Amino acid sequence: MSTPARIRIYLTGVGGQGTLTATTLLARTALDQGLEVTSGEIHGMAQRGGVVESTILLGGWKSPKIGHGEADLILGFEPLETLRGMTHLAAGGSVLSNTEPLPPVGVSTGREAYPEMERIRAKVEGCAAKSWFLPCRTLGLQAGSVQAGNSVLLGAACATGLLPFGPDALEAAIRIHLAPKLMDMNLRAVELGVRAVASAS
Amino acid sequence: MSEPTPTPGTRPVNPLLADEPGARRLLLGNEAIVRGALEAGVNLVACYPGTPSSEVPDTFRRIGGGGRYRLEYSVNEKVAMEVGAGAALAGALTLVTMKHVGVNVAADPLLTMTYTGLPGGLVLLSADDPGCHASQNEQDNRTYARFAGMPCFEPATAQEAKDMTRDALLLARELEQPVLLRTTTRVNHLRGAVEFGPLGQPASIVPFERNPRRFVPVPAVARVRHAELVKHLGMAREKAEHSPWNTVRGEGRFGVIASGISRAYLSDALHETGWADRVKVLDLGMTWPLPEDLLTDFLSQCDAVLVLEELEPLLENDVRALVQRTNLPVAVSGKGGALTIYGEYSTQTVTQALADLLGETARLPIACDPETALPVRPPNLCPGCSHRALYYAVRKVFGDDAVYSSDIGCYTLGLLPPLRMADFLFCMGSSVSAGSGFATASGKPTLAFIGDSTFFHSGITGLVNAVFNKHDLIVVVLDNGTTAMTGHQPNPGVVQEVLGNACVHLDIEAVVRGCGVADVVKVRPFNVKSTMKALAEMKERSGVRVIIAEEPCVLYARRTLKKPRNQVAYVAEQGPSVADCLEHLACPAFFRDDTGIHVDENLCGGCMVCLQVADTIKARKRSDA
Repeated sequence: MSTPARIRIYLTGVGGQGTLTATTLLARTALDQGLEVTSGEIHGMAQRGGVVESTILLGGWKSPKIGHGEADLILGFEPLETLRGMTHLAAGGSVLSNTEPLPPVGVSTGREAYPEMERIRAKVEGCAAKSWFLPCRTLGLQAGSVQAGNSVLLGAACATGLLPFGPDALEAAIRIHLAPKLMDMNLRAVELGVRAVASAS
Repeated sequence: MSEPTPTPGTRPVNPLLADEPGARRLLLGNEAIVRGALEAGVNLVACYPGTPSSEVPDTFRRIGGGGRYRLEYSVNEKVAMEVGAGAALAGALTLVTMKHVGVNVAADPLLTMTYTGLPGGLVLLSADDPGCHASQNEQDNRTYARFAGMPCFEPATAQEAKDMTRDALLLARELEQPVLLRTTTRVNHLRGAVEFGPLGQPASIVPFERNPRRFVPVPAVARVRHAELVKHLGMAREKAEHSPWNTVRGEGRFGVIASGISRAYLSDALHETGWADRVKVLDLGMTWPLPEDLLTDFLSQCDAVLVLEELEPLLENDVRALVQRTNLPVAVSGKGGALTIYGEYSTQTVTQALADLLGETARLPIACDPETALPVRPPNLCPGCSHRALYYAVRKVFGDDAVYSSDIGCYTLGLLPPLRMADFLFCMGSSVSAGSGFATASGKPTLAFIGDSTFFHSGITGLVNAVFNKHDLIVVVLDNGTTAMTGHQPNPGVVQEVLGNACVHLDIEAVVRGCGVADVVKVRPFNVKSTMKALAEMKERSGVRVIIAEEPCVLYARRTLKKPRNQVAYVAEQGPSVADCLEHLACPAFFRDDTGIHVDENLCGGCMVCLQVADTIKARKRSDA
């Protein structure tokens, strides 16, 4: 690629979901493709079931941070967190989101109400140039585990054409970087994500 | 990092230990620090874990090192600092790591070891936390570089984290003076490509030569050594003047002096705005001692300069003093407006400051409106966490009559409703001593909650004091057998089987009794009834009372102790006791839908505390067990 695009990707999910592992996999995929990568994450308190935000910036960005209105792409691993993270979306940016909720404790106890999926879709579609919604947990289970749902979302992102590499690059990275016992399951998950995007367009 | 495919019968070398100069790998900032230390030939690493520093020692631990270095998890930062200083006196090239607040604990030895110097070389990694992502304050530890008299490096990328760690260690050995490697959360926890240098061999050990007139700072020695320190800082300043980490680029009469992660924000802001050719930039990577000649030269070429640094205006004040001293006609700006003394900077705040400098209008990105009234998702105690069980029992027995003195660890999360088990907190170990003071002045029943690692860190001293000064409080040692909050690092309370041959387990009860506490009770928090009974009995007594609540961390039990809990809870029948359980226990494994309250089997930790709270919740075998 002569002039690699400068792209900022904001990833958001819930502690324990494995979004940081997914972030590292996508960042490694980009590095393996010869792209300049800076990636960021916030650990610590966030890991105890709190919100986990991470970033991948491609094409020469130095800061690992993505502020409001700066993300070209949002990957939401949990629908409420997609909605909360929408302020990070840049004008003309796109969104891929899981549709299957992990209710926070306030919702479980009935003190707070989880937003309707319709509200989340309306917000995303109102702000984003393009958006895709996938049942990642279901598709992940179809591939072999709940955690594989993250690879479903990554596979889908690679299939949109919005990244400077396609699903083949992600598959190659999975073969190099993931433990052999996790490889086939995650490759199946990528394929399910790719198909979901293909059938949506 | 790409893990090489293991060949049967051989152990793959961890990429961080591979001697492959020129290799490029994606590393976490903290992993890059490890590689830099290895390239310098580090002999000894001492630490106390704390976010955002923990992955440095944890990576040293994970990769093993094959005898290249010795790693120690010390019981607190002061001890780590002293172990490190002793090792560096004995000639070892030494790295000591901790979070910013840990440096306060280590400050006593630190401020004298800069007088004596350390022939083997010592670098202190201070991982600061602007934005308080995982800390009780956001103090600026560049202050310690000035306070103690240490050269200071501030990386902004993963590559720099690696290279500056190497250079800091080499400088520490060359000058025989402690050097500060100061990072911030964003740097510790970013990932970027790092090009490796040669690995080399571990550094040679500098033979110790007895010299009490240098190493024993009685007043007559200390006076002389202070003057020596000033001389050493002069030598370090010469290094800073010519350091490859301090560079000038760009053109124009507008200058920007940037340090730390602000340099990354500046770089991106200049790219976004297209103003790169309108400003002259002084990037400071080696930030102390100040390269005054380089700065004076830079300032003399500018009409106005903007200083970019997160937190305190240290650099800005130094620049202002330099301008006054040199009488240069240059306007200095720094803190003010978007550039606050608190919190983090960003590309947007730096863009705004640049616009102000250049008399331009910043075109900041437009964001869609934030959603209001969304359910919050605060960090929470895990399902199956023993702290929840203990806190539930304490609330039942003491309610709002008692005052709860908290400490640093997962158990601080008990502050949230409905448990509400934290009324105040200062720092590591403060639960016992601050609780003592509070009890004395208020006359209220006071409970101090402290974890096992924190107890060994600095709870013991407070306990000795409580006994000695006849304080009246209950100390609850939440002994989950590991340092849970920061990622299960070893501490003296960890069982011998997990510690292995390198460390020795210490029994908390024996330590507590050794401190002179006679009233000691051990409970298992997952047995709610007997825990409540022990608490109720203790409530009737006075003096220093200690409850040791023993139950392994649920994650640690599963992952390290390999003790899976094959039973899960389920709601056999809906009813008020189930609703009451959810209301007062607030276990995150519970959820509510149209049909009632249920337990998510995937989340249930199998503690079975809910069974003891609600009679219609039952146990069954986990589906996949």
